[in-house]
Amino acid sequence: MKKLIALALALIMVMSLGACTVTNTESTTAATDGKTPETTGTGDTTAAAAPAEISLWTYPIGKWGDQETVNELLANFNAAYPNIKVNVEYLTYQDGDDKVNTAIEGNAAPDLIMEGPERLVANWGAKGKMVDLSDLWTEETKADIEANNASVAAACKWSDGAYYEYPLCMTTHCMAINKTVFEQAGAMQYIDEETHTWTTENFLKAVQAVYDAGHKDVGAIYCSGQGGDQGTRAIINNMYNGTFTNADFTGYTINTPENIKALEALVAQDGINFDPAINGGEEITLFRNGTLQMAFCWNIAQQLNSDNGEAGHTNNGDEIMFMAFPSDDNAPELCGGIWGFGVFNNGDDAKIEAAKTFIKFMCDEDPATAVKASTYFPVKASVTGVYAGEDSEAVMNEYAKLSTYLGAYYQVVPGWATARTEWWNMLQKIGSGEDVATAVATFDTNANAAAAG
Amino acid sequence: MANQKVTYNKKTRKLMIHETVTSYLFLLPFLLFFAGFVIYPMFMCLFTSFFDATMGREDIFIGFDNYKTLFNDPVFWKALWNTLIIVVVSVPVTCAFSLWVASVISKMHVAATSAFRCIFYLPVVTGSVAVTMVWKWMFNNYYGIFNYIGTSTGMLEKNINWLGDERFALACIILILLTTSVGQPIVLYVSALDNVDRSLVEAAEVDGATQMQAFWKIKWPQMMPTTLYILVITTINSFQCFALIQLLTSGGPNNSTMTIMYYIYYNAFKLYKYGYGNAMGVILALVIAALSAVQFKLGQEK
Repeated sequence: MKKLIALALALIMVMSLGACTVTNTESTTAATDGKTPETTGTGDTTAAAAPAEISLWTYPIGKWGDQETVNELLANFNAAYPNIKVNVEYLTYQDGDDKVNTAIEGNAAPDLIMEGPERLVANWGAKGKMVDLSDLWTEETKADIEANNASVAAACKWSDGAYYEYPLCMTTHCMAINKTVFEQAGAMQYIDEETHTWTTENFLKAVQAVYDAGHKDVGAIYCSGQGGDQGTRAIINNMYNGTFTNADFTGYTINTPENIKALEALVAQDGINFDPAINGGEEITLFRNGTLQMAFCWNIAQQLNSDNGEAGHTNNGDEIMFMAFPSDDNAPELCGGIWGFGVFNNGDDAKIEAAKTFIKFMCDEDPATAVKASTYFPVKASVTGVYAGEDSEAVMNEYAKLSTYLGAYYQVVPGWATARTEWWNMLQKIGSGEDVATAVATFDTNANAAAAG
Repeated sequence: MANQKVTYNKKTRKLMIHETVTSYLFLLPFLLFFAGFVIYPMFMCLFTSFFDATMGREDIFIGFDNYKTLFNDPVFWKALWNTLIIVVVSVPVTCAFSLWVASVISKMHVAATSAFRCIFYLPVVTGSVAVTMVWKWMFNNYYGIFNYIGTSTGMLEKNINWLGDERFALACIILILLTTSVGQPIVLYVSALDNVDRSLVEAAEVDGATQMQAFWKIKWPQMMPTTLYILVITTINSFQCFALIQLLTSGGPNNSTMTIMYYIYYNAFKLYKYGYGNAMGVILALVIAALSAVQFKLGQEK
C-alpha cells in the first residue's frame, strides 16, 4: 500500500511539472486579457492593424526607462492600435547588452528594441539580426530628418544599404563645469559663456586656475570600463582636432600626433587624473557631490536631472554649466546620441508589421510625446515646440546651441566592441605611466585589426 | 556462496520492480532538471569550444585552435595567475581564520556563540552587490574611509587609489573576498567542534595532554571531513570569483585583477567570442576538478 501511495505521489510530482507549465501559460493569457480586455475579438478597432503581441526592450533613454511614462505612451498607442499588445522590458546599460546577446543566442530576441546606431546598426544589424526598415524611410522622412541634421540618416544605415534604425530623438554629448567653483577660482575668464565654448589653451589655463585655488581633483579621465567613454574620446579628439575614425568609418585614427599631443597634455596637467577605478556614471556622481569640478560625461538629461536637488546644480547647490569640449580652433565636434527603434528578425511577419506600426506611431504619428519622454531633441525638423511651456524650455533652448557642433556619428565603425574595450585599456596604461605613443600604437593595432574583421 | 543465485517469488519481484520504478520516478524531476541545466550546458560548453562561435556568423569548426590561441594569450595567463593568487591566499586564510574564530566562539556561552555566528554569517546572507558597494565606497580614491583614516592619522601622505592602482587592487579584492567567505566555514566549524567526542578530549586531558595536543590529536582529525568540505567549496568559490571583479574593477587596472571567470565573461559577452570563452571554461573546469581531486585525496589520506 505504501508503495502504491509513493508511486502515486511520484506521478503527481511529475505531472505537476507539466501542470505548472499549463497554469503559467493560462495565467499569462489571463493577465494579457485583463490588461486589454477590449483588444481581442471585438473587430471594433481604431486602426486596421492585425492582432499581435510584441515585446519591446528599451534602454534607459530619458524616461523611456521609466515604467510610468512608458505605460502612458503605450496607452496612447493602444488607443490608436488596440489590437497590438506591447510587453516592455527595461534594460540597463550595465547588463542590457548581455541580456540582449543572450536572448539572440537563445533565439529569444525581443521583437522591438530602442537604442542607438552603435548597437542597432553597427552591432546587431551588421550581424544580420535586424529587419531592414528602409520602407519606413520615405523620401519625405529623409528630407525631414536631413533638414535637421545631415548625419542622422547615414548613422542609421549600414554599409549594405539597409536602415536598421528608425530614429526618434537625438542630442549632443558635452561636458560640464562647476560654474560656482570656476567663478571663485577666477577661471570663468577662459570661457565663452554665450556659446559654451573654450579653446584648448584656455581649458588648460582654467583647469590650472581651479587646481591652484585648492581643488586637487578638477577632472578625471575615467577608464574603469566603457561606460560613458564618449566623453573621454571627445575630450581627447577635440583638444587638437584629432579624430577617432576615418571619414568613411572603416578604421580607427587615434594614432596621430594630434591625439597623442592631447593625451600627453592631459597627463601633464595638474588636476586631471587618469582614474581606472571609475566609469562615466561614477564621474558624474563625483562631479555632482563636489569632488570633481568638471565632468566629461554630460548631456541634457544630466543637466535636467533633479534626483539629488535642483536641476542644473550640484548636490550642495553650486551652479552647473554645460560646455562644449575645448578645441584649439574653437570649433568643437561633439559626439551625438541618436536613439530610435530597431526590429529583430524573429521570422514572424505579423510581429514585424506590428513592430513597424509601433515605430510609425511613436516617430511619425505622435512624435512630440515620444520625444518628450526621451528628454532629448527630435530628429525631425518638422517636430517643434516639444518642450514649449515646460519648466525645462529655457534650458532646452540654451542647450540646442550645442547642436551646431554636432560631429559625424562614427560609432558605426566595424570592430566597435573591441575598440571600446581597447580604449579604456589604453587609458589605464597611460594612467599607470606607460608611454603615450606606445599605448596608442597598441590601441591602433588591436582596434584596426578588429575593424578589418 | 558468493555466486549463489538468489531467487525471488513472483510477488517479491513485483514489489522490487515497483520499488525501483518508484525510486526513479521520484528522481525523475531532478534528473530532468539536472540533465537540462547542468549536463547539456556542460556538453555544449565542450562542444562549442571546438568552434569559432562568434555572434553574427555561422560557427566554424576549428578543432583545438581556441585552445592554441588560449595558451598564447598573455591576458589568459595573467588571469590564471591572478586567479591562482586569489586561491592560494584566500583558501588557507579563510580556513585558518574560520577555524580560529570557531574555536574561540564555540567555548563561549550558547547565546554568545549564536550571536557571533550570526555576525560572521551576515555578509553571506547580505546581497553581494550591496556588500561590494560598501567596500567600493570604503576604498574610494576621493572620499573613502581608508584614505580618510590614513591621511588624517599621518599613515598616508596622500590618497591612494586602492582599486585603481595595480599595486593594491588585487589585494583589495582578496580582502573583500575573505570577508564574504568566512561566514559559512565558521558556522560549519562551530558545528564540527560541537560534534567532537568530549569523552576523548577529557580522557586526553586526564592523561596530561595540553590543549594544543588535544586539539591537533583529537579534535582536528574528527573535523577533517568538515575541513575537506570547506577547502573544496572555498577553492571553487575563489576560482569562480566574478561579481567582485565585475562590480569593482572590470579586471583592471591593466588586467591586474583579471580572473579566469571574468575573462570568460569578457570574451563571451563583450567581444562575443563564445567559442573562445567556452574553451576557457573547459580549462577552468579541468583545473578546479584536478585541485578538488587532490584535496579529496589528501583529505582521505589524513
